[in-house]
Amino acid sequence: MRTKVVLVILLVMAVVFSLASVAMAKEYVPGEPLKVGFVYVGPISDYGWTFAHDEARLICMDAFPWLETVYVESVPEGDEPLVIDKFIQEEGCHVVFTTSFGFIDGTVAAAQRYPDKIFFHCSGYLRNPNMATYMADFYQIYYLNGLIAGALTKSNKLGYVGAFPIPELKRHISAFAIGAREVNPDAEVHVRWINSWVDPVAAKEAAEALIADGCDVFAFTEDTAAVVQVAADKGLLSFGHYSPMYVFSPEYCVSGQIAHWEAIYLDFLEKIYSGKYTAHNLQDVDYWWLLQEKAVEMGADKGMIINPAYEDQLKGIYVDDPVFGKISVYDLVMTRLRQMADPGVTFDPFQGPLYDRKGILRVLEDCTLSVSGMTTMQWAVEGIVGPWAGEP
Amino acid sequence: MGWETWIIATLSRTLAYGTPLLLGTLGEIYAERSGVLNLGVEGMMIMGAYAGFSTAYTTGSPWLGIIVAALVGGAFSLIHAFASITLKANQVVSGLALTMLGLGLSGVLGRSWGGKPLPVSVPEITVPGLSKIPFLGPILFEGQNLLVYLTILLVPLLWYILYRTRIGIIIRSVGENPATADSLGINVGRVRYLCVVVGGILAGAAGGYLSVAYRPAWTEGMTAGMGWIVIALTIFAFWNPALGMVGAYLFAALYHLSFRLQPWVSPELLHAMPYAFAIFVLVLVSRGTLQKKMGAPAALTLPYTRGEG
Repeated sequence: MRTKVVLVILLVMAVVFSLASVAMAKEYVPGEPLKVGFVYVGPISDYGWTFAHDEARLICMDAFPWLETVYVESVPEGDEPLVIDKFIQEEGCHVVFTTSFGFIDGTVAAAQRYPDKIFFHCSGYLRNPNMATYMADFYQIYYLNGLIAGALTKSNKLGYVGAFPIPELKRHISAFAIGAREVNPDAEVHVRWINSWVDPVAAKEAAEALIADGCDVFAFTEDTAAVVQVAADKGLLSFGHYSPMYVFSPEYCVSGQIAHWEAIYLDFLEKIYSGKYTAHNLQDVDYWWLLQEKAVEMGADKGMIINPAYEDQLKGIYVDDPVFGKISVYDLVMTRLRQMADPGVTFDPFQGPLYDRKGILRVLEDCTLSVSGMTTMQWAVEGIVGPWAGEP
Repeated sequence: MGWETWIIATLSRTLAYGTPLLLGTLGEIYAERSGVLNLGVEGMMIMGAYAGFSTAYTTGSPWLGIIVAALVGGAFSLIHAFASITLKANQVVSGLALTMLGLGLSGVLGRSWGGKPLPVSVPEITVPGLSKIPFLGPILFEGQNLLVYLTILLVPLLWYILYRTRIGIIIRSVGENPATADSLGINVGRVRYLCVVVGGILAGAAGGYLSVAYRPAWTEGMTAGMGWIVIALTIFAFWNPALGMVGAYLFAALYHLSFRLQPWVSPELLHAMPYAFAIFVLVLVSRGTLQKKMGAPAALTLPYTRGEG
C-alpha cells in the first residue's frame, strides 16, 4: 500500500516537472515582456546591501513598462538553487540576479542546468555564456572619505568596524588608509571585526571598543547604521555606508558611500530587451562599475557630497600635494572626485609604488592595482592596525 | 592607556550590554523555576524590540515603547504557555516554534521600520556628584540609563520573592513536584502561566531596551542570538537570580573584551570566547552531582497532568 502511494507521488512529480520543463524551455525573444527574478541574501529592510538592490529593482520597474520582477529575500547561502528553480520553473523568469558572493556555486550550476536562461551573479568571478558578473565598488569613495577623515581626526586614530576579512573589505580599508595618510601621515586606521553582515549589537560594541581605544572618526562595512549612531551619541565623526545615513547623525555624519545598483540593472535589462545580451554571449561580460559609471555615489546623503557643517573646516586645512601644490583638503577631495568621476579616469588610489604594512612592494611604480588584484586583495597597506586574517 | 581606564571602559560597557541579557535571564529563571522551559526567548525579545521601537517612534515616548515591548513580550509568551501548559505539548518544540514565529513575524511587521532613527531615546543620565567618585563614578553613574539601574534593582527583588516569600515557595514547589503542590491545593497551571508570562514580559523589555535605548533603531533579526545566550545563562545561574546577574555581567565583559583585545588575539578566537565560556559552564553544570546539589527544577520540561505525576 505504502509503496503504491510513493509511486503515485513520484509519478505526479515527474509529470509536473516535465510540464514545467516544457514551459520553461523557450528562450527569451527580444522585445517581449521580460520577467526577472532577484535572489536576495538579506532582508530588504536591512537599510544596507539588500535594501540598495531592492531600491534598484523598483527603479527598473518604474523605468521599463515591459518588465516584471519577483524576488525572494533572506535566502541563506546554499539555498539559492531552490529559489532559482522556483523562479524559472514556476514563475517563468528568463533572467535571474543572484546578489551575493556566496550564491556563486548555485548560480554556476543553474547556468549550466538552464542554458537558455540568463544569469547575473553579483561580486563573483565565474562566468558562462549565459552568466555574467557585476559589482558596484566603493574603493574610490573610501579613499575620498579617508582624505576627509585624516584631515579631521584629532587623535590620529580612525576607527573601522568590518564585517568579514574578505578582499572587498580589505581593499576598502586599505583605500581609506591611503586617503587618510595622504593628508595626515600620522593617521592610523584601527580595525575591529564582528564576523557578521547584520549584527547591530556587535557593531555597536566594536565601535565602543574603538572609542575606548581613542579613535575619533569612524568608517565601517556592515549592513546597519549602528556605527554612525554610536559615534553620533559620543559626538564623534562618521562616514555612512551603503545607504544615506545622514538621517542617523545630521551633525556628525561627514560623508559616506551610497550604492546605485540601478545604473547596472538598467543597463543589463535594456540590453537584454534589445537583444544585445543573450544566453550565448555573456562569457566575458563583467561589470566593475565605479564613480565614472555612476554606480556609486560619494555622500552623507543623496546629492550631499560633504555635510555642509564641515565644508568650511575642510577648506581651512591645507596640505602640500606634489602635483597641485598647496591645496585645501576640500579642494583636494573635489579634485580627486572629478578625476575619478569624469569620463576618462585620471586617478586611482592604488597608485604605485605601494607597499604593504610588512614592507613588501605590492604595486610597482607607475602602475595601478588591476581589477583582479583588487578582487583578490589580501594584504594591508601601512597605517592599518589590527588583526588581518589571511595576511600574506 | 592605564589599566584603570581599561577597567572603567570594560565595566561600563558590561552594564550597558549586560542589561538585556540580565533581564531575559531573570525572566527565564522564573519560567524554568515553575517547570516550564521556554526556548522562545529570542522570539519574545525580537517581538519586544519591534513593538518597542514602533511604539516609541509613533508616539515619541521611549518609556511607552519599553512598556509596550514588555506587554507584547508577555502576550507573545502566552502562545508557549497555552501550548505547553494547557495543551501539554512538548516544551522544546513549542519554545522553538515561538522563536521562529517571533523572528518571522517581527521581520514582516518591521518591514518599513528599518533605516529610521528614533527621534527620542531613553536618556543617558549622569548622576551629579556620584559620577565624581573615583573609579566607581564613571562606571556606575556616567552615561548609563535608568533601565540599567531598574534591572539591577530587580535582582534582589526577584531573589527575595523566590527564596523568602510564600509565592516563591509555591513557584519552586510547582517546578520541583507539581503533584505534591497540587495536592496542597495549589493551581499548578495558573502558577506556571504566571511565571511564563513574567518571563515573556522581561524578555520583551530586554528587546525594547535594545531597540529603544541601546541602539536605538530597528533591524530585522537584530537580537542576533541573544535569546540563546539567555537560556545558557539561566542554567549557568543554577536558576538563581543573584547568580544570573554574575553570569550576565561576566558574559557581557567577555563580549566587550572580544572586541577590545583584537589587536593581540585573533578575532575568531575571541568571538568564540563568550560562547566557549557558556558551553564550559553548561558541561560543568550538567555533571550529575553538581546538578543535584545546585538544584535544577526537578519537573523542568515535564507537563503536569493531575493523577499522572
